[in-house]
Amino acid sequence: MAVNINAIEIKGLSKSFGAKQAVCGLDMTVPMGAIYGFIGENGSGKSTTQKMICGLIPTGGGSIRLYGKDYTDPDVRSTLGVLIEAPGCFPGLTVWDNMMLQAANLSIPNAEDEVIRVLKTVRMEGAAGNKYKNCSLGMKQRVGIAMALLGDPTLLILDEPLNGLDADGMRIMREVFTDIIKDGKRSILVSSHLLGELQKVATHYGIIRHGRMIREMTAAELDASCRTYVALRTGEMNRSKMLLGCRYARVEEDEAGYIRVYDRTTPEDLVTYLYQNGICVTEIRTDKIGLEEYYIDLMNGGK
Amino acid sequence: MVKCKKRTFAQRLRSMLKVDFRRMCKSRLFYILLACALLMPVLMTVMMTMMDGSVSVDPQTGVETILHGPENAWQNIGTLPGGEAMGGTEVFAMCNINMIFMLVAVFICLFISDDFRSGYAKNLFTVRAQKGDYIAAKIVAGFVCGALMLVLYFAGTVLGSAISGLSFDLHGLTAANLVLCMLAKICLMPVFISIFVLVSVAAKQKAWLCLCGSLGAGMLLFMMVPMITPLGSTVMNVGLCLAGGLLFAAGLGAAGKTVLMKTSLV
Repeated sequence: MAVNINAIEIKGLSKSFGAKQAVCGLDMTVPMGAIYGFIGENGSGKSTTQKMICGLIPTGGGSIRLYGKDYTDPDVRSTLGVLIEAPGCFPGLTVWDNMMLQAANLSIPNAEDEVIRVLKTVRMEGAAGNKYKNCSLGMKQRVGIAMALLGDPTLLILDEPLNGLDADGMRIMREVFTDIIKDGKRSILVSSHLLGELQKVATHYGIIRHGRMIREMTAAELDASCRTYVALRTGEMNRSKMLLGCRYARVEEDEAGYIRVYDRTTPEDLVTYLYQNGICVTEIRTDKIGLEEYYIDLMNGGK
Repeated sequence: MVKCKKRTFAQRLRSMLKVDFRRMCKSRLFYILLACALLMPVLMTVMMTMMDGSVSVDPQTGVETILHGPENAWQNIGTLPGGEAMGGTEVFAMCNINMIFMLVAVFICLFISDDFRSGYAKNLFTVRAQKGDYIAAKIVAGFVCGALMLVLYFAGTVLGSAISGLSFDLHGLTAANLVLCMLAKICLMPVFISIFVLVSVAAKQKAWLCLCGSLGAGMLLFMMVPMITPLGSTVMNVGLCLAGGLLFAAGLGAAGKTVLMKTSLV
């Protein structure tokens, strides 16, 4: 019988820095083959959790298992790829030298070929000869991701990997992430504040607040949880908003200038109601809230 | 099931050393220190020989001091039987070969603190759970650097003395004693290296703290170097230094490993 092993399994993880409890009884499960979006406010404990998984800071309690083994097991640790905060590169060395150092550290056979492969993956092969300190923020981030990909790791732990990337860089990263997990044996734990980008690739989510996991779900569950709304535009936006506000419980205007009605209703009802009040609807559509709005709702205590 | 690669200690240490030696070869500091170790005795011996017999007058007290240059090449390495250390003045007596034991602290401290400052330690310790590998590799890399500096200082002394036309007479000692003296110094190097490594891993990215701590701790043992590794060293001296070096490396290495395991690595 096949045993279902998770890539990461955390139970009751705790960590405090002096009097401040950074992580408090955290439970977390990253299944094999998942891109796990790890979300939370600044200071919620994401980076601390990731550092503990990587063995960079001692835990204050609880257990961490990677592929069914204790996280301190050297053999399982050798299969990790990591980018936490900033890429760990020597500023005075070239990108190539930094990559070769990490390849030597990982004892990768045919190191040169492997370095060329990962640099090509992140479209950095042309900048291999540049000194690391002369690279732009986006380039440094790409080097960090390339370094994490060295040696074909089975578990990638990435902390804010999309920071500083341009649109093309983000697209490349999406392709890289989906390519990595396609055989179902590799997993990625990625934290990011760019929730829109994260939603495009993540298969699972974990939302952390004040060091506690407040929600864990799959992308399908998120989709089911996200409320639908009707967005519309009329010739008289202010009067429409006022009229709709009298009839429906939650009516808001979004950044794009649409009035959103979150209550359970249909476009036909809204058009009829506004028409009866002498207002013509010029544009109307139904949509669902995204991860970002879901997250904000959750942080504000919504469901 | 994910298959994990099993690696022995030797394999892990080899790859770790590969990284450290690659970094050493790319490090400007390493070459600067080697150049210092080679040129310092040359310049010092030549200059002191040139200044031999010159008189300096203290402008406040009017006291005249006659500067004495070296009379023998090996005064830079140790005290000859019945003789005194180089030049006879305290400043130059402090700048003999034993100074390398302190100079190597600069290399170790900056080498280790660079790992933590650059964030490279994160990459390293994520994929390497055994902190002992790191300590062992740093001690070996530091030892190689220190031994190279000692050999270069010796070469610089010979070169400087040859340029200055100094005597190479060993005053009753043999060449074997000289070789054993150098071997004893090399074997004693791990004692200092392991202290510097321990202080550096404790201070991590704080290079200034690494340096101050290392030099301070090194000074405590510095005075024993000329006593335990005299010019007339025998096999006993080498054995003692070797035992001390191994003992310190193992003991302080274990302490360094504990420090890494118990503290944050970022």
